Amino acid sequence: MTVIHTTPRAAVYDRGYRPYQGPRGGRREATLALWRLSVRRALGLRRSWRQKVFPWSLLVITTVPAIVDVGIAYAIRDDPFELARFEFLTYREYVGVSTSLLVFVALAAPDVVCPDRARRVLPLLFSRPLTGVDYVVAKVAAITTIVFGFAFLPHVVLFVGQMLVADGALDYVTDNLDVLWKVPVSAAVLAVYYAVVGVALASLTDRRIVGGVAILGVTLIPTAVVAIVAEASGGSTPLAVLDIRALPLVLRDLVFLGHIGTDSRLSGVEAGGVLGALSYVAVLLVGVATLLHRYREVDL
Amino acid sequence: MQPTPPGPVLRAGGLTLTYPDGTTALAGLTVEVPAGSVGLVGANGAGKTTLFRLMLGLVPPTAGWLQVAGCDVVADPIGVRSRVGYMPEHDCLPLDQSAADVVATFGELAGLPPRAARQRASDMLDLVGLDEARFRPVGTFSTGMRQRTKLAQALVADPQLVLLDEPTAGLDPVGREEMLQLVARLGGFGISVLMATHLLDDVQQVCEHVVMIDRGRLVLAGPIDQLMQTTGTMRVEVGGRGDAAAALGQALADRGLPAVVADDRTVDVDTSRHGEDAFDVVRDAVADLGLRLFALSTRHRSLDDVFLQRAAR
Repeated sequence: MTVIHTTPRAAVYDRGYRPYQGPRGGRREATLALWRLSVRRALGLRRSWRQKVFPWSLLVITTVPAIVDVGIAYAIRDDPFELARFEFLTYREYVGVSTSLLVFVALAAPDVVCPDRARRVLPLLFSRPLTGVDYVVAKVAAITTIVFGFAFLPHVVLFVGQMLVADGALDYVTDNLDVLWKVPVSAAVLAVYYAVVGVALASLTDRRIVGGVAILGVTLIPTAVVAIVAEASGGSTPLAVLDIRALPLVLRDLVFLGHIGTDSRLSGVEAGGVLGALSYVAVLLVGVATLLHRYREVDL
Repeated sequence: MQPTPPGPVLRAGGLTLTYPDGTTALAGLTVEVPAGSVGLVGANGAGKTTLFRLMLGLVPPTAGWLQVAGCDVVADPIGVRSRVGYMPEHDCLPLDQSAADVVATFGELAGLPPRAARQRASDMLDLVGLDEARFRPVGTFSTGMRQRTKLAQALVADPQLVLLDEPTAGLDPVGREEMLQLVARLGGFGISVLMATHLLDDVQQVCEHVVMIDRGRLVLAGPIDQLMQTTGTMRVEVGGRGDAAAALGQALADRGLPAVVADDRTVDVDTSRHGEDAFDVVRDAVADLGLRLFALSTRHRSLDDVFLQRAAR
């Protein structure tokens, strides 16, 4: 039986324009949106798989030592002799020990700021309810968030793994309660520092490759020079305050130990901890000042 | 539909911007721009983009005051940017993101919640004719599609006023016509438009008002209809003898009608002081001289005429 439709079964509608009458945020929401956008970009989210490979590979690389450590501990858990001989990775050593975080910053920081200037997206961004300060806060916060996550998550693996391997999980937690605040504080100190230095250096150029090389050069070359000078002068030197890469590790030592670790190039220097901390603050201030200067005004 | 704001979308008094090197980009601009579609016209370097910079609060004026959409720009630049959409002239889009992501991102940056921004992005890309291409990376778009994406991001937060900087730049004739049609539709949505361009035809086609600036100074501002009215010039074509135009010019001058002989047969008569009586004076002069009258017409101006005339003063 044939059904005859008396009304049209399909129609084309011109939906026209619908005004927006919902909630509308201000600077805070715009800054948050820029932070979210930058985090997504740095992690390769909503981008091709090629952009995802690098950041997630680095997360795996930074976590490998923790997994290996826990794995070995699990394997020898029934052998008290081996267990006593095995040198577990300490939480202090694990903060900032991996250069993969620095490599991540060298690639991610230019990626979140250089295209904005190179492709002239900045005028469009600054035509929104955003100021230069908001832009700097959002970009630095985005890199800080990811570096913190990459520095902190392996510690979670290490902590949980060692807790499960230990004879008494509860005893392990109570014995290491201080780790629960020392690790996040140290990771935050490291993340903020790397983010400010990385984004500040990247902001000086439109080209990502130049930004990345500058970050690696400014952080790694002083480390090499200081190492040579320190070796020539018995292992430590006041010039270690110029070791930009290692300055956050001074603060890490102060958080974990209350003094500089013996493995620091500043360990034999009088008031080395204070010098290191002051240098850390000075680098941060220079970085922030550079960023605020670079984004104080935008041309259309 | 959002009602068009009743007040002026732009008010400026003595607006001046002088750069540290002494260059004056805007010199004492005083203007009031009503809601609706307004063309901001001027040659390259006239100060159009500088005015946009000031309107968005990206640079403070050296002197004077400026209100946009009812907000004092110096006191509340963020408030202004919340009410205004901006479409730059140059390429400004992240090429590796899809149009949907780009427009939604700028919606979020304008303060819209993420879900609403994505919905609005979809609507705006539909509006500008990019609904089927919205998930393609902007880098694969033609110039016309990129211009439409720029327009979509300017509209995504439902602004009171949208600033369009040379929206037809780089477009082929078809693309230009489509863009102008889109711009012409915005008034119907309750969105005021301030379109900066040096193409007077574009303004004539889609705008109701025009603001002309030249070297940082206001040349004129007003409704296009009024500016386009008769020029106060009558063109008369005569024949019958070799010096017809010259003889008529002299006869009209004797009767108090300033006239300029354009060529052997044509005389342009200034009718601004005599109004419609000038037609009778011309008729009588032609008859007295025994000339043949081939044509008699009032001249309508184009915006080019108006701009060139005023800028020359």
